Amino acid sequence: MISSEFKYICPKSIEEALERFGEFQGEAVYLSGGTDLVPRMKLGLKKPRAVIDLKDVASMSTVAEEGDYIRIGSLAQLFQLKQTDLVSNRFPALAASLEATSCETLQVRGTIGGNLLQNTRCLFYNQSEFWRRSKGFCLKMGGEKCNAVPGAKKCFANYTSDNAPALCTLQAEVAFAGPNGSRRFKLESLYTGRSDDPFDLEPGEILTDIFVPNKTVAGGYEKLRVRGAVDYPLLGVAFSRGSDSGRLAVGAVGPRPYTVELNEPAQDAMGEAVATVINQVKTVENTVLESAYRKRMIPVLAERLIKKVMEGAE
Amino acid sequence: MENEYTILGERMKRTDSLAKVTGAATFTADIKLPRMLSAKVLRSPHAHARILNIDTGRAEKLPGVKAVVTAADAHGVKWGVFKYTQDHPMLAMDKVRYIGEDVAGVAAVDEETALRALDLITVEYEPLPAVFNPDDAMAEGAPLIHEEYANNINIHVHIDVGDVDAAFNQAHLVREDTFEAAGEAYSTLEPYAVVASYANGFLDLWMPNAGPHVRAKALSNMLKMPLNKVRVRHINVGGHFGARSEVSPGDLVAALLSIKTGRPVKLALTREENAACTRQIHDIKATIKTGVKKDGTITAKDFRVTYDGGAYSSTGPIATSIPYYVYEEAYRFPNVRYNGYRVITNKGIRGMYGAHGRAFLCGNEVQLDMIAQELGMDPMEIRLKNGLKVGEETATKSVIISGGLEAPIRQAAEKARWAKKRIGLPEGEGIGMGCVAIMCGFPMGFRSGSTCYVKINDDGQATIVSGIVDTGMGNESMAVQIASEVLGIPPEDINLVNADTEVTNLDPGAYSQAASFVGGNAVKRACEEAKRQILTLAAAKMDHAMEDLTIKDRTIVSRTDPSKRMPLRWVVREAFFKGEPIAATGAYMPKISFDREWIKNPQGQMAGTYSFGCSIAEVTVDRETGKICIPRFTAAHDCGNPINTMAVEGQIEGSIQQAGVAVLTEENRWSDGWLLNPDLLEYKVPLACDMPEIDTVIVRSNDPEGPFGAKEGGLTTRMNAYSAVACAAHSALGVPLKQLPLTPDRVLKALDKAKGGDA
Repeated sequence: MISSEFKYICPKSIEEALERFGEFQGEAVYLSGGTDLVPRMKLGLKKPRAVIDLKDVASMSTVAEEGDYIRIGSLAQLFQLKQTDLVSNRFPALAASLEATSCETLQVRGTIGGNLLQNTRCLFYNQSEFWRRSKGFCLKMGGEKCNAVPGAKKCFANYTSDNAPALCTLQAEVAFAGPNGSRRFKLESLYTGRSDDPFDLEPGEILTDIFVPNKTVAGGYEKLRVRGAVDYPLLGVAFSRGSDSGRLAVGAVGPRPYTVELNEPAQDAMGEAVATVINQVKTVENTVLESAYRKRMIPVLAERLIKKVMEGAE
Repeated sequence: MENEYTILGERMKRTDSLAKVTGAATFTADIKLPRMLSAKVLRSPHAHARILNIDTGRAEKLPGVKAVVTAADAHGVKWGVFKYTQDHPMLAMDKVRYIGEDVAGVAAVDEETALRALDLITVEYEPLPAVFNPDDAMAEGAPLIHEEYANNINIHVHIDVGDVDAAFNQAHLVREDTFEAAGEAYSTLEPYAVVASYANGFLDLWMPNAGPHVRAKALSNMLKMPLNKVRVRHINVGGHFGARSEVSPGDLVAALLSIKTGRPVKLALTREENAACTRQIHDIKATIKTGVKKDGTITAKDFRVTYDGGAYSSTGPIATSIPYYVYEEAYRFPNVRYNGYRVITNKGIRGMYGAHGRAFLCGNEVQLDMIAQELGMDPMEIRLKNGLKVGEETATKSVIISGGLEAPIRQAAEKARWAKKRIGLPEGEGIGMGCVAIMCGFPMGFRSGSTCYVKINDDGQATIVSGIVDTGMGNESMAVQIASEVLGIPPEDINLVNADTEVTNLDPGAYSQAASFVGGNAVKRACEEAKRQILTLAAAKMDHAMEDLTIKDRTIVSRTDPSKRMPLRWVVREAFFKGEPIAATGAYMPKISFDREWIKNPQGQMAGTYSFGCSIAEVTVDRETGKICIPRFTAAHDCGNPINTMAVEGQIEGSIQQAGVAVLTEENRWSDGWLLNPDLLEYKVPLACDMPEIDTVIVRSNDPEGPFGAKEGGLTTRMNAYSAVACAAHSALGVPLKQLPLTPDRVLKALDKAKGGDA
């Protein structure tokens, strides 16, 4: 049950959505598939005065070639997207990450935009209001301390999008429409690097499109999870390889995907790239597998993935 | 062998299947009664605190709120399964002992109002030091959670048979190992809900329960109402596995609110409340010492097992005993000592579980493999050598009347091609075997037996009234199938009325694997008596010898002369004319020792009979990631004789998921007294895609006491599937895994430890 009261709004255009958002002075949220937002509202993690459902904004769900890019509408459904030839033929890393996202039932509800803008997660944060009140609010809830790492003054929630690392390896860009106009930038620049407030966005901005450079790139995605479906990643590793270089991105072990470029996707370069990532990653005990284990799996999954992609590409 | 029965043993479509798969079946939360109120519970935010004051005044004044109840509205009667374990007030009185404990209840016109009212109740607490694991709780100077339990030891089960120390001295080989397992969650698909409706002095209740009579008795005690005024009604139950065995705090809250308002009250818990505030499963630590002869014969066992009991006793003495018993029911222990300690901690309440005791049972079986390895024996041979046989007694003097461990072991091994596969397994692959035996029922005093009434209606159809409880496993369908076989009428001609305290008589309920063996026997006996009445009348009417008559497909027929036949309904109508309508009673009381007591006298016949089972798991282990996969699983279960073959297979398959695959994934995770994974996202119930290929083997031992030779239908797999997986992982890695569940991080740690040479 969602116990907070809110107004439900279903605009027909982006302009109308932005206008309605403005009416609620920052206390509105946009809804796409709802697989992230609705559970958050049920837990009382988000209590907006208005929910603006974007489902009728038709322009936002198409996938098309546009010059040097493939344009993916942010409302494109995950399940359909993974079956789109443009995606599966050209971007195997993205196709694999879509396949690995939750389960098919939820892929039918979830959208690519919603998947990228999902909030960060932590075992000490994604809990009922009773639980959080009795434990004492953590940093991400506006409290004074981290509950996962006693004494820490920093939040360690994980950004658990499966598709973001894949899109980072593909050098994707994201386009937003906002009250102050539109802008387009590299996906990697979307992130603040702060777990408690992961996205560098202005209030009211709507993710409209994702642009992926239109060239076929070999690649793949490896996901660490306890079960064969449903679970969020405990670690996600994506790799895409162009003609002369490769990109490796590691997700779910911090507030953003960590992306590194491999000029020469060979053994030495790979070791270096993985080391670069590992140096940036600080896992803590806030998921169902031990933090040291999750970190230890970064090189294991990365090496396997790169080897698989290289063998497949030869 | 041709089936000598008409429908018994057939793969009958269960009587409840259609309603459940189409969503037509109603559960407690679906109930809507006129003027019904919604209830919510105010819960303790403290793991351990004294309650100084509760002020409900502001909540009571909120428009829409109809009543608020606290312990002051109850009668101070604490719940416990046994007189010596009555420690749970269900609405906290002087202290709270876990986070989520029920402190006050509100009934309001809707759920939103009830929730708002909770915020208006002020409770003053004095926080007390808390303890969250048995070792800390038993330490000197630890805070005492209940005054009556010194060192927080709630239950101590002590069993001592033979001369254990002498046997160890003479043993060829002695091993001691300690295994630990995190507690599990029941994860019933249906979160707990209760509807209470008080009117005209009667309290009617609906809730998922495994035994309406014991539930009504507990509530009549706590409410100080005559038992006949408390009526627990029949309702579909969405899963149990032990979770619904006992009265639940919500029952008392909803009942008090309904009594106070005179209106029906529904309390439906959230998924998170269901996980954190109803019962869960014990964390267990088991130290197992085993002595064997050179030929692998077990000569002595010494066990020290601690159970994290959470805040209250619950089924304490039973939960502290069962893992041991299901093991001694499988194997011969000439000398054995068991010390089971259930320790109170400031965590949620814990109860019995269908897959109870995995640290103990996996531990024993993995250790047996380690011993076999040292002796150069096949793990199957050491199990065959020590397995109990028909006619033998368990260590605590229960006689085995059918089955024995050998048949399930041999049949599972044959199906899984054990001998062939075990030799020369490729790197990273393993195969393992787990065994157990299970009591079909246990002593519950005069509630150990079951009664069934049957009446044959004027259309020739039957109504059977039985105390049998179905919490999802198909017991209702089982009763109908037995009645159909005996009465010679199809299942659709049988109406079952069951599990309603006003209408049905006592039954052991759905917790001790007694439904088929005890309840099924009562149904069979009642139907046989009805059949006798029918045939007596038919014999006179047809002028034919009664011994030659039977009932088939709604017709009385001669066994020898098929032309001699008469519709059943003619006979039934004749009975009404004569003023002797066909109506019969059947009862069954198992041959058990009623002197037996879990703590004071742990010996004597535990149950009427025992089922035996052997599971074989095949695993692959990735040494780099630690991930274990189970590509194939074979389970052999001796159910005596299957009443519904498909239902038995279903139980076995479900058990493989809930025990065998769950041993890789399932655990409650804690941060002090806070449950970290009270939802179905982070509590990892295995999914369809995680399941192995399954071979089920139904072993037939044709039990001399069971109805049509039947015993319970699948629980051995629930208590040995995890052992098979743990043993298979041991076989794959050569390293024992002593921490459960076998998550990949634990597996790698064990491998690291072995590399370090201190395994």
